[in-house]
Amino acid sequence: MDLLEVSGLSKRYGGIHALSGAEFSARIGEVHALLGENGAGKSTLIQILAGAVRHDGGTIKVNGALYAPANPDAAHAAGISAVFQELSLIPDLTVEQNIWFRRETLSPIRTVRRDELRRKTLALFEKYAFPALRPDQEVRRLTLAERQIVEIAKGLASDPAILILDEATSTLPAREAEWLLGLTRRLAAEGKLVIFISHRMAEVRHIADRLTIFRNGTTVGVHEANAVGDDEIVAQMLGRKLDRLYPERVPTATDRIALKVRDFSAGRRVHDAAFDLREGEVLGVGGLQGHGQRELFQALFGATRSRGQVEIWGKPVTISNPRHALIGRDGLALVPEDRRGQGILLTKSVRENLTVSVIRRFSEFGVLSHAREQALVKEMVDFLRIKTSTPEQLAGTVSGGNQQKVIFGKMLLTEARILLLYDPTRGVDVGTKGEIFQLMRDLAAKGYAILFYSSDLPELVHVADRVLVMRNGEIAATLAGVANSEEGILRAAVFEAAA
Amino acid sequence: MSVFWARNRLIVLAYVAMVALLLITARFSPGFLSESNLRSTLVLAAFVGIVALGQTFVIIGGGIDLSLPWVLNCAAIIMTLLAGSQDLPLLWIVPLVLAGAAGIGLINGIGVALFGVPPIIMTLATNVILQGLILVYTGGSPTPSAPPLIEYLAVGRIGAFPVIAILWAVLALIASLLLSKAAFGRHLYALGTSRTVAEFSGVPTQRTTILTYVISGLTAAVGGMLLTGYSGQAYLGMGDPYLFTSIAAVAIGGASILGGSGHYIGTVAGALVLTILSGLLPALNLSSGALLVVYGAVILLTVAVGSETLSDLGGLLFRRWRRD
Amino acid sequence: MTAMADQQEATTPGTSRERSRAISWALDRAPFLVACLMLVVIVAIYGTLQRDVFSLEEINLDVTATLTLLLAATGQTIVLIRGGIDLSIGGMISFGTVLAATQFGSDPGSVLLWSVIILCIGFAVGALNGLMISVLRLQPFLITLATWSILSGISLIILPTDGGQVPAFWSGFGGAQFLGLASPVWLLVLLMLFWFWFRSTRLGIAIKATGSNEKSAFLSGVSLTRINVVTYGLSGLFAAAAALYLTTQTGAGSPTIGKDYILPSVAAAVIGGVSLFGGRGSLAGTVIGALILTIIGNLVFVLHISSYWQPVASGVILLLAVLASSIAEKAARSDEQ
Repeated sequence: MDLLEVSGLSKRYGGIHALSGAEFSARIGEVHALLGENGAGKSTLIQILAGAVRHDGGTIKVNGALYAPANPDAAHAAGISAVFQELSLIPDLTVEQNIWFRRETLSPIRTVRRDELRRKTLALFEKYAFPALRPDQEVRRLTLAERQIVEIAKGLASDPAILILDEATSTLPAREAEWLLGLTRRLAAEGKLVIFISHRMAEVRHIADRLTIFRNGTTVGVHEANAVGDDEIVAQMLGRKLDRLYPERVPTATDRIALKVRDFSAGRRVHDAAFDLREGEVLGVGGLQGHGQRELFQALFGATRSRGQVEIWGKPVTISNPRHALIGRDGLALVPEDRRGQGILLTKSVRENLTVSVIRRFSEFGVLSHAREQALVKEMVDFLRIKTSTPEQLAGTVSGGNQQKVIFGKMLLTEARILLLYDPTRGVDVGTKGEIFQLMRDLAAKGYAILFYSSDLPELVHVADRVLVMRNGEIAATLAGVANSEEGILRAAVFEAAA
Repeated sequence: MSVFWARNRLIVLAYVAMVALLLITARFSPGFLSESNLRSTLVLAAFVGIVALGQTFVIIGGGIDLSLPWVLNCAAIIMTLLAGSQDLPLLWIVPLVLAGAAGIGLINGIGVALFGVPPIIMTLATNVILQGLILVYTGGSPTPSAPPLIEYLAVGRIGAFPVIAILWAVLALIASLLLSKAAFGRHLYALGTSRTVAEFSGVPTQRTTILTYVISGLTAAVGGMLLTGYSGQAYLGMGDPYLFTSIAAVAIGGASILGGSGHYIGTVAGALVLTILSGLLPALNLSSGALLVVYGAVILLTVAVGSETLSDLGGLLFRRWRRD
Repeated sequence: MTAMADQQEATTPGTSRERSRAISWALDRAPFLVACLMLVVIVAIYGTLQRDVFSLEEINLDVTATLTLLLAATGQTIVLIRGGIDLSIGGMISFGTVLAATQFGSDPGSVLLWSVIILCIGFAVGALNGLMISVLRLQPFLITLATWSILSGISLIILPTDGGQVPAFWSGFGGAQFLGLASPVWLLVLLMLFWFWFRSTRLGIAIKATGSNEKSAFLSGVSLTRINVVTYGLSGLFAAAAALYLTTQTGAGSPTIGKDYILPSVAAAVIGGVSLFGGRGSLAGTVIGALILTIIGNLVFVLHISSYWQPVASGVILLLAVLASSIAEKAARSDEQ
């Protein structure tokens, strides 16, 4: 009997089947990887296991007993603990307060015993060789990587029998990621079950005993990790061949420089960046997460302060506010990282979202023209094939991929010919991903200049003409042609260039 | 049709409530639907409506203006003090007072938009500071009565219509056009929905925010000056009741207190609802205390009806009913 | 200052910058420290103008005068830390004084009974606020505005004008002394003891956590309904306590007195460093803030200037406090990742 047996699990959200008849079983003392594209059902499965969401049909058995947690507390009581991608830390509490939150040792007068908190925290850190972290520091002062580590400690605090790690390495730098991978093996050796979700094939191979592949809400394959090849895995994940995902790359770059950046610095995160972005070019930005890419994009757009020289189509500009960037044909537009928090007005219609940046374009003497607005909306909805019942549909009710298209549309309407795209395909379903890649190349062919960041190496390699690799806030390397490979990018991201 | 309903559901409900209230009040107070009574109700509602105009803009933008009471009061006091019951000086006094009110609004707006002071604190502070300053200036002594022109504007009539109602209608039109048909309105709704998204979309958030507080100061001042015409003179504390009623009118009118939704048309209904309710007082022999209780209950009711939970529940029940 | 700065998330790899621990500690508490500084300055100015400022007698006087506000502000502090706001305390305070003045009678047993009843009503009404906020998912501002109105109205119905009375032994409370300190001072000591206990309980931490990041707290298994009920319930309880104390000072009930305490309760907390966004602050700061507001009143009196300057000074201090905390926030944020 396996420790965890999931059979016929289904979950519906309105008309969408997140899971239909999913199967999953895992053993004690195993590291079991869960693979699949975004939207394949992995997140839903683990949310159900963690007690955050209730399933509609099917059964789950833990140690042979039926398991149907009503809430996360019930899951913890059953020995299941999850570390989600979406961090659940309290910024104004300290590291140790977060780790033992709601599980603190109490004194006779029911106050939290700080000495016990410290002792338990240090003991936990020591037991699993945690990277250095000060227990008394407020979490709001920590880096994203450090918060991830605290989140992992929090997951281990209840000494669970089953630990679920959802993309836990995605925010960790190399050394800490290594530590985490080692930790999973250690936990398995202790007799725990570790369910590990990751997009990084190398990691999965490194630590997993078995892997289960999801696609479209069902299980499409279960394999011993060392008995299946990468191609077969990817084929099962995508349900189709890899190369149809990326569009054909036709060289469309001209010699004209659209965006020239020199000595560009932003806060403490970007130092003396310099590059040229050409008309018709798709320039990728890569490197390990957290090395200044986000700050570079936001600073170029004017969302944060910066110093340096920037020229757009040969003219020097100072952009200290997005309003200076979105000035029409000679402008620069950004599709930001955080769709819900920076890109979309969730409670407004698709129409209002599309036109919010270009109100001048359909107003005369300050009066809005309904007809002109509708025309602009139709233009974008048709061009981008945005799927909505009507443009009046609330943007919050539209799928992630379509929301991304709305943000694209909003920026395209500004007529800016330089586009900054930050992780444009994150959280987007496979079909729309392909559309977005094709869109990028089509726009480039029309003379747009595109700078895009992706945390996904294959994307950079297959879609970008050249790739800027950022390391520690600087542009460490520019790769083109043959050098633009996954290995090439990684190497530049991690190692100092030879002197 | 369903799109219209989805967007304006709360405003329609507010008007339905208003009509229902009218009928109920008429039931208990036979003379209520008389022309003269309706007229005086309209006049009283106009004061609330005018002051709540600015509050509407501020709330839609995601803020709140707690400085209304003493901007109103200061405008009333300064105008009557300087005019000395004469009409002619109003030519320069009214612009002066309006400029001062706009200046207060500017200060509020700059504090909120540029310095990041929470609106509650910023406007609270300006409110008490204004209170202190005007009291120091006047020493609390009474001011001359209102000039005849102001009295005419407040209680006079053109034909059957009160002048102030016409004034209100004009202001309502301007406000509605600003919100529905002007770039400013769009920017405001975006800003109130999410300041961050608005900024990333190139909306001039700081300018828009500051403008809402300037508008609020202006309408408070207009309301204050006109009020002196109604009550005959300026008196201390005349602005206090208008804080609650302006916020209540906006809320009853369907705007979200968090910003991003609502319309002045709704606030108009809210102002009328509140005024009719206060007319219910003598009709039902209610004390002023009972009126406060009713006000509170009405706010709870409207907010609950407009809330997500109840609309989800309502939708669920409705669909189930349809299926049977 | 744009909201975009708020969106900056931690990204730099490796351990966080090792700033001096003392500086970090100070920046974390900057608003509170600024408030302390302001209090020191104000008291110093006051001390040069008035005799015997640094005496037990002065402490007794000031605390006695401030305690109503302090009790009201205690509840408000808890609510603000939760990330909400409670406007209904205005109505609760009026209601409490009205009930006390009309129901106490002269028998100590009756006084005790009604005191307990008033405190229970305070908690119950507050809990109802919290319930409506959670279950109906409505905004605290509007809900508490509505209940404020309702409570004020009920107060007016029961007692249309200031009046009623309380027994002599009750109004003598403020004058009673123990070990040279007036009983209000001892009450304050009790209050602080309560606070230091409460903030170290699981509940106190959970309230702070919910104010800091409601979503994370929810994901960590906190019951938002329970937190809201307790938070607003405590606020109502302390408002009722404030009402009871107020009657020992005024000896009568007033159906309108409460509204003068709403905004000052928020102001005292904010001056003392409690964040309006939730998750940060302490009652110690609120005490400092309340004392600052009271002593400004004393200063105005002693300087023989019009008492109308008091609200002006209060307003200016409030703005200064907020600006100081805003600057400290920015400094902390540039230090933070």
